[in-house]
Amino acid sequence: MIRTAGLTKRVPTSEGELTILNDVSLRIEAGESVAIVGASGSGKSTLLGLMAGLDTATSGEIWLDGRQLSTMDEEQRALLRAEAVGFVFQTFQLLPSLTALENAMLPIELKGESGAGGKARKLLDRVGLGDRWHHYPNQLSGGEQQRVAIARAFATKARVLFADEPTGNLDTATGGKVIDVLFELNREFDTTLVLVTHEERLARKCGRSIRLVAGEIANGESRPEPVHA
Amino acid sequence: MPEAAATGLGNLPAVSWRLLWRDWRGGELRLLFLALVLAVASVTGIALFTDRLERALLLESANMLAADRVLHTRGEPAPAEIINEAARRGFRTAGTLSFTSMAFSDSGNMLVAAKAVSDAYPLRGKLITTLLPFTRGAPVASGPPPGEVWLESRALPALGVEVGGTVFVGEAELTVGAVIIAEPDRGQGGFVDNAGPRLMLHMDDVAATNVVQPGSRVSHRALFAHDDFVALDAFEQWVDETFDGNYHIRDVREESGEIAEALDRAEGYLLLGSLFAVLLAGLAIALSARRYSERHYDYVAILKTLGCTSARISAIYLLIQLKLALAAVLLGSLLGFALHQGILRALRASLNVELPPPGLEPYVVGALTAFICLLAFALPPLLALRETPPLRVLRKDLTQLRFSDRIPYAFGIGGSVLLIYWYSRDLVLTTLLVVGVAGTGLLLSLISLLFLATSGSVGMKAGNAWKLAMTAVRRRRWQNVLQVMVFSVTIMSLLILSLLRTDLIEDWRAQLPEDTPNLFMMNVTGGQVGRIEAFFAENGVEANAFYPLISARVRTINGAEPEPDAGGGGEQGGSSLLENNELPERPAARDAMAADGGESGQSAESGNRQVQGRLSRRQVTWADEPPPDNRITAGAWWGDNPRSGLVSIDEEYADWLNIGIGDEIGFEINQQFVSAEVANLRSVRWDNMQPNFFIIFSPGTINHLGATFLSTVRLEAGRKLLLNDLIRQFPTIVVIEVDALIEQIQTIIGQVSSAIELIFLLVLAAGALVLLSCVSASLDERFHENAILRTLGAGRRLILASLLIEFSFIGIIAGVIATLGAEGGLYYLQERIFEQDFNPHYWVWLAGPALGCAIIALLGVNSTRKVVSTSPLTVLRRVV
Repeated sequence: MIRTAGLTKRVPTSEGELTILNDVSLRIEAGESVAIVGASGSGKSTLLGLMAGLDTATSGEIWLDGRQLSTMDEEQRALLRAEAVGFVFQTFQLLPSLTALENAMLPIELKGESGAGGKARKLLDRVGLGDRWHHYPNQLSGGEQQRVAIARAFATKARVLFADEPTGNLDTATGGKVIDVLFELNREFDTTLVLVTHEERLARKCGRSIRLVAGEIANGESRPEPVHA
Repeated sequence: MPEAAATGLGNLPAVSWRLLWRDWRGGELRLLFLALVLAVASVTGIALFTDRLERALLLESANMLAADRVLHTRGEPAPAEIINEAARRGFRTAGTLSFTSMAFSDSGNMLVAAKAVSDAYPLRGKLITTLLPFTRGAPVASGPPPGEVWLESRALPALGVEVGGTVFVGEAELTVGAVIIAEPDRGQGGFVDNAGPRLMLHMDDVAATNVVQPGSRVSHRALFAHDDFVALDAFEQWVDETFDGNYHIRDVREESGEIAEALDRAEGYLLLGSLFAVLLAGLAIALSARRYSERHYDYVAILKTLGCTSARISAIYLLIQLKLALAAVLLGSLLGFALHQGILRALRASLNVELPPPGLEPYVVGALTAFICLLAFALPPLLALRETPPLRVLRKDLTQLRFSDRIPYAFGIGGSVLLIYWYSRDLVLTTLLVVGVAGTGLLLSLISLLFLATSGSVGMKAGNAWKLAMTAVRRRRWQNVLQVMVFSVTIMSLLILSLLRTDLIEDWRAQLPEDTPNLFMMNVTGGQVGRIEAFFAENGVEANAFYPLISARVRTINGAEPEPDAGGGGEQGGSSLLENNELPERPAARDAMAADGGESGQSAESGNRQVQGRLSRRQVTWADEPPPDNRITAGAWWGDNPRSGLVSIDEEYADWLNIGIGDEIGFEINQQFVSAEVANLRSVRWDNMQPNFFIIFSPGTINHLGATFLSTVRLEAGRKLLLNDLIRQFPTIVVIEVDALIEQIQTIIGQVSSAIELIFLLVLAAGALVLLSCVSASLDERFHENAILRTLGAGRRLILASLLIEFSFIGIIAGVIATLGAEGGLYYLQERIFEQDFNPHYWVWLAGPALGCAIIALLGVNSTRKVVSTSPLTVLRRVV
């Protein structure tokens, strides 16, 4: 489902070029759940952004859902995201002017599918917010907001779900409940899950972990990949 | 992949509706919408008001002609072909015939300004009559019937008649049918209309008087009226083309220079007011759109992670703006209509003008303004949203708005230029404003450089309000530059309009003060001067200076034949008055007013036209002091001990004849040759209803050549009978009454002054809104920063004090720049466009910065008070 080969990301700084990711090669199969772990600043979120097509690499190649991202422009990557990718972020990223229901409806509407309201209501029911659908983000707790984000992520039946520190802004108990919902839906929709976290406990819930240290894979995952799709 | 979503519009209209509705509900769009509505409402309101007011003023001023258009001919009436064509085109027509004559009765006689009118006279305005002299009258529909004469009050006691009595005009015996109290076009016409009290008779009686013979000095006026302005212009053009310029139909602007000038200036001011209103509304739109788009970076980043392409983002925002603009146009037009109704209601008492119904054009202007403003000011930052990188969902600091960095300014400047040109149709004014704005930008860049050069110190210096404020000013210098620019442009606009308004109105008041003379006495001999002065002294009336008048012709300039500028028009010209021994149209305003004038002259109105055709005989004078309102523009006046052989020339006349200081001019005066050196050039205020001269000699140069004298005097309405005594004692002098003209000019000036005051108030309101939106645009960052300071323990007083200092500082800088810009702009506007003399407004140099400081500090601190009254956690949560 996802493959990277020799992925490198460098950014210019006032003190010269800074390497954030260095020669990262990995492979994630369809239906797998993979945790990307590592200390702060190890390059976890950058790797997630690159694999999801939110950013472009300095060098190396990425394949997502059978397509090579590095040859696509932002428009093509956006269309691929619309079709195949879902996101859950640490800071929830809900639109503050939309209600819970409207937030969950948004990707369905953007995709041009009909029955957005019904589908979104079902998902909100599924994440336990059936009675809170008309509330705005600022009227919901952190855990509730993250559950709306999860409902939104599954609204278009994404084939790959990228989760960036989904419990990072939540207390342990709330975080636990949110993760349970996330994994339940993941199983139900048979989604490939890529989860960035620094929590070992959360990482253990995934099928396997990829550890990043200073922008490089530290646990032997960084093996050469074939360059054909 | 769903193709609808990928390529075509798909369900974008529906999505944009939902986003629009949700944004509206969330309050995100309200400020932008408000700015758009304000733009449309103010532009539509002002356009409606000026459109109707202009047409009303034209109608009102048409009353002063008793018609919409006039064809003035001498000796012969207008060709029948013109009158027939006017009738064929559905015009109403009338005719008048003016001549001077003696009127006789059993007990007296006097020189009267006779005017024969046709049945339809007057076509515009009101003829007011009564039965007893010096009483109030009532309007009548038309002039005297055949067999009757109507007389002005003063004529009745002079002739010793009452209504019902009889008078002779030439060989005709006519019955006095009424007393004329007011006549719409009394202020118009030359000598024949002003040489005595009015005697009005029916056109059919003229033949019976046997006074008018071929070659007689008579003035014909064909009057035309039509309710359609376009038809009037078309007819005017037809006459010009058909008769190859030999006949020219004139409107009130051409007939009366004073009124034309008042109208031109008022229109100029209204235009400037509209321009500033549009620019200020554009600024408000740009600011609120910028803020809206800044608040939408995250929004767009999320949409992009959800798979929305840049093209679809653009389409969504385009549709949102389109719908917003349509709603704003609708609401703005309604508000604009209400606004102009409100203005009219407020002005009803002072306007006293019947307004024609409004046209559709102002609404079109309002709508187009909204779309141009949106395109120029709002769309660029909104379209730049498409550049928001989706990675922003992970990294807040990413903006990468290449598009918004440069293009919006080009769009905004381009849009402003387009709007200014579209409104003014004036390339010079457009260039001036663009250069003005560019100059302001340059000045701001210099000030920014100063900020940059200030040695920055580390940290926020949070322990002291003053230092905290100053470091904030320095840290935010680029945002501050933008803010100072907006503040200064707004304050500059308000200062310019305010000062211009005051100067224009004061200028008008000074032009015709309360004691403006209403009588001109001419043909006074040297021996009569002292006796006339004594006559007025006995009767407690203040007499003015007597100016000698003598006819002169320029023969040589430095020994050579004069070669006037080709553009000056030379000698030929339509209504040559002096060759008929008559007065020009503005009898009091011209030197050529003596009844024994020269060979050629012209009733030119203003600018270069004033000097056209003036090479021949001029009525010249000599004087110790320059007449009031004359300004020496080159050389020097001849001082206390003048030598003979010097001459002072009107600068436009000198320009036309290519005369400079030191040139030796040869004059022919009373068949003698006199040479004089040009000592100075003067600018002459021709519209002040005082004696004015193109050429003034130093005393002793032409005194020996014989002259008659001219003077003015003011007689209040109640003392007009004194005039009869004056004429009885000095029967050879000619007295011209100009009360009607003065009154008409004062009426028009009063009306345009009210309009100007009102437009100023409107622009003031628009400016206030810009200032508010500019302050609120900078709020987000201040909120966040001060919330952090408060969580770190900064006190309420410290933060408020630092905000006060920061905003005051920005306000002072904005005030200084605004003052500089306003004085520069005023200099150009007054000298070049409004033809006024520019005088620096020293008090503004203090008031401008003080005003800027007070307004910005007040608005800023008031808007940011919430910073200290909202809990830091709420602020931080909202911003994160």
